[in-house]
Amino acid sequence: MPAGRYKSRSLRRVFTKVISKTKLTYKKRKPKIAHCANCKTPLKGVPRLRPHQAQNTPKTQKRPQRPFGGKLCSKCTRAKIKSSIQE
Amino acid sequence: MYEIGRLCVKIAGRDAGKKCVIVDILDSNYVLIDGETRRRKCNLTHLEPLNQIIKIKKKASNVDIIKEFKKLKIEIKTTKPKKAEKRPKKTKKIKNNEEKTAIKTVKQTKTSKTSSTKEKKATPKKKTVTTKKVK
Repeated sequence: MPAGRYKSRSLRRVFTKVISKTKLTYKKRKPKIAHCANCKTPLKGVPRLRPHQAQNTPKTQKRPQRPFGGKLCSKCTRAKIKSSIQE
Repeated sequence: MYEIGRLCVKIAGRDAGKKCVIVDILDSNYVLIDGETRRRKCNLTHLEPLNQIIKIKKKASNVDIIKEFKKLKIEIKTTKPKKAEKRPKKTKKIKNNEEKTAIKTVKQTKTSKTSSTKEKKATPKKKTVTTKKVK
């Protein structure tokens, strides 16, 4: 039986190999996928990282290099730039 | 619509939002661009054309385009590659013979002390057990 604090399933269960048996360990879950602020589609090129993992990964690996990268999807950025030109 | 000298804005990629000019038409889909962006081959779907047209030759050089952009009051950042400075090589300090011998003697004395203490620890004192005979 799991201990009381591990019953709620808020932590994910990971079986780790130990000598001669497998042991249950509990780890925190990944954050949700990043979405476009305009059209709410899932963004590509934005990894799902816990804060301590995000700290150690370089900035260039965490979002696309274009303007509004990591906030808006590519379609919405194109539309936004086009609209700004027309104004 | 897309002709040599047409001012455009790049929509996609890391140069998105920057102004450029068409320098050469490579294909029905691709053109060569230069300006605020890097001089590169570009898909027409990644460009938004503007009203202005600049008078330039086909395959005009980067210097000519910078001059034309200056007339339109668009300044282009020119970056020169940095010159790598020579790093000073690390040289190992060569110790004198006297210093070397001094270090050796210190090490030897340390080892001799530790060995003597180990020997002492290895031979603990035997406890004498006395049993009293009780009648």
